[in-house]
Amino acid sequence: MTRVADPVRTVSPAGYAVLRAGQASFLLHRRASVVTAAVGVLLAVAVVAYLCVGQSFVSPAEVVRVLLGQPSPDELVVGTLRMPRLTVGLLVGTAFGVAGALVQTVARNPLASPDVIGVTHGAGAATVAAMTFGVTSFTALPYVSIGGGLAAALLVYVFAWRRGLHASRFVLIGIGFSIALGSLTQLFLTKGDYLVAQQAKVWLTGSLNGRGYDQAAPVAVILLVAVPFVVWAARAQRDVSFDDDTATALGVRLGRVRLGLVGLGVVLASVATATAGPVDFVALLAPQIARRLTRTAQIPLLCSALTGALIMVVADLLARVVFSPTELPVGVLTAAVGAPYLMWLIARTSSRFGGTA
Amino acid sequence: MSRTTSRRVGWLVVGTLLLLLAVLLSLAVGSRAIAPGEVVDALLHGGTDDNAQVVRALRVPRTIVGVLVGVALAVAGTVMQGITRNPIAEPGILGVSQGASLGVVCAIAFAGVHTLSGYVWFAFVGAGIAAVTAYVIAGSGRGGATPVKLALAGAAMNALLASLVSAIVTTNARALDEFRFWQVGSVSGRDAEIVGQILPFLVAGLLLVAAMARGLDAMALGEDVAKSLGHNVGLLRVLGALGATVLTGVAVAAAGPIAFTGLAVPHIARALVGTGHRWVLPLAALLGPVMILVADVIGRIVFPPSEVPVAVMTALLGVPFLVALVRRKAVVAA
Repeated sequence: MTRVADPVRTVSPAGYAVLRAGQASFLLHRRASVVTAAVGVLLAVAVVAYLCVGQSFVSPAEVVRVLLGQPSPDELVVGTLRMPRLTVGLLVGTAFGVAGALVQTVARNPLASPDVIGVTHGAGAATVAAMTFGVTSFTALPYVSIGGGLAAALLVYVFAWRRGLHASRFVLIGIGFSIALGSLTQLFLTKGDYLVAQQAKVWLTGSLNGRGYDQAAPVAVILLVAVPFVVWAARAQRDVSFDDDTATALGVRLGRVRLGLVGLGVVLASVATATAGPVDFVALLAPQIARRLTRTAQIPLLCSALTGALIMVVADLLARVVFSPTELPVGVLTAAVGAPYLMWLIARTSSRFGGTA
Repeated sequence: MSRTTSRRVGWLVVGTLLLLLAVLLSLAVGSRAIAPGEVVDALLHGGTDDNAQVVRALRVPRTIVGVLVGVALAVAGTVMQGITRNPIAEPGILGVSQGASLGVVCAIAFAGVHTLSGYVWFAFVGAGIAAVTAYVIAGSGRGGATPVKLALAGAAMNALLASLVSAIVTTNARALDEFRFWQVGSVSGRDAEIVGQILPFLVAGLLLVAAMARGLDAMALGEDVAKSLGHNVGLLRVLGALGATVLTGVAVAAAGPIAFTGLAVPHIARALVGTGHRWVLPLAALLGPVMILVADVIGRIVFPPSEVPVAVMTALLGVPFLVALVRRKAVVAA
């Protein structure tokens, strides 16, 4: 078997580099890789900053020592108090980032992110309902939450379907359902006993306060399980980015691929919601920022995951510090940034807005 | 009287009867069920037994506040739908109610205002700013304010304002205590004093709106037609926005944010008596309180002994309505 002659290597698409390892080769979007690396570095800086700042300041050098597992006097503050919460934040942010990217890819519309179309509220309502009926274990709740998120997505889909799926009908019905599910949550809060209601209310504000490894475990497991699917999704994303006719002609089973992508997105968003409560707008923001930075045609999954984690860590850092010693729920900060961004998106959309989803 | 007119009058009579029935229910039903005869007796002849006390001291103020809030929200919704020519315009969905809430929270937390007649002004300012902002955001860009853009702009406003409210409330314990009890819209625990305080504003808002009923009819035909009929469209918009803002502000100051009443009631009224605002507005003013009172009564009996706030019940009653509205082709194609 003869190797293909060298000149082929230089014929790569503009903006891409070809990586070869033996027989295998793949294309790498140059700008996307640089941006992703940069976001990764920023995230690392944010992580260290997160561990430094708090009631007491710990020097970055000590933080790095603790991270590397060396003995340090600040072991307790950094390793035992701040690390677990940081871990939850990272996982939740990643999950939201990927979820948003997948759903937005399929809808071809930034406005149809999980928090706008009712998924997070569905997960919220299911979780509070479960709490009211006595399910309080942190291992069971994420699954209840996934069920709620999927059910909400399904309901919105069914009600929005009328001889085809129209993007604006989908979004309107999603908003309606979000409000209804929010009210349902209130209803369960009224029904439940006082202690449960307190616990559920803390959860509902979307906060990382008091979250630890116990809560991180289910997200971590589900994220790990999801990795192969996400790798598949990264390829499938490209297939659905064509217009419907081209994709079908190329042999893509559009319906199935879309269903798979959205399903995965909904599961990830629900699991993240189960852990941190409904933290709005991370799933909306992360993919949009990632895409604007990388300037790729599709929403870059890895970069969007890292951006999600970065938003979450920075927001929680600010939530702890801004009004210290009072802590703000992290959802308050993400909404304060995300809502104006959503407004800006709306202000510049044309009336045609997306077409069919 | 032509046939259409008599039908319209008929619906107004039906609306009045429904309202009376709802009032009676609201007075009779609760954790202590009181026979309607006894309610009427307590109202007319006084009396000092427990039931009469409950009716007069607890349920009468609550019912009156419910009626006023219902009138305000339904009329505000009708006007908003009229001047924006948009079927899903509504104080709750557009974030106007949430704006009024933010105004009230600011009044409590920063200005040290603790009376309703004091913070109702802050509610007006908040509601006005929120209404204008949501409409400007939705209206910019190509295509103007479509229902989707309006709803999304409202959702974004709601999220932003709610986060500001919760930031203030979390960092200010005193504000939290005072604010908590109407953060979710509810008509319980309001005393008779409130009625006197909100009544002047409510009347002012209603008069403003009543004066522009004809203008709203012309607006329904389109801006150009309205202009050629001799209406000042700009002035109509400003007055309409002012009226809707005052009415929403009053409702929120009295009961907290309550969504969907302003959405559902105008549509029902229009389906019954046609699109003329001289008929729609009075019927909406009759049906709005019916919706609020019925929602409140249901909220009292679903999970005894606790009570579900009226805003929760109106949302649950109203959402199927929104879904049906959106599924009709007209909304999305607009």
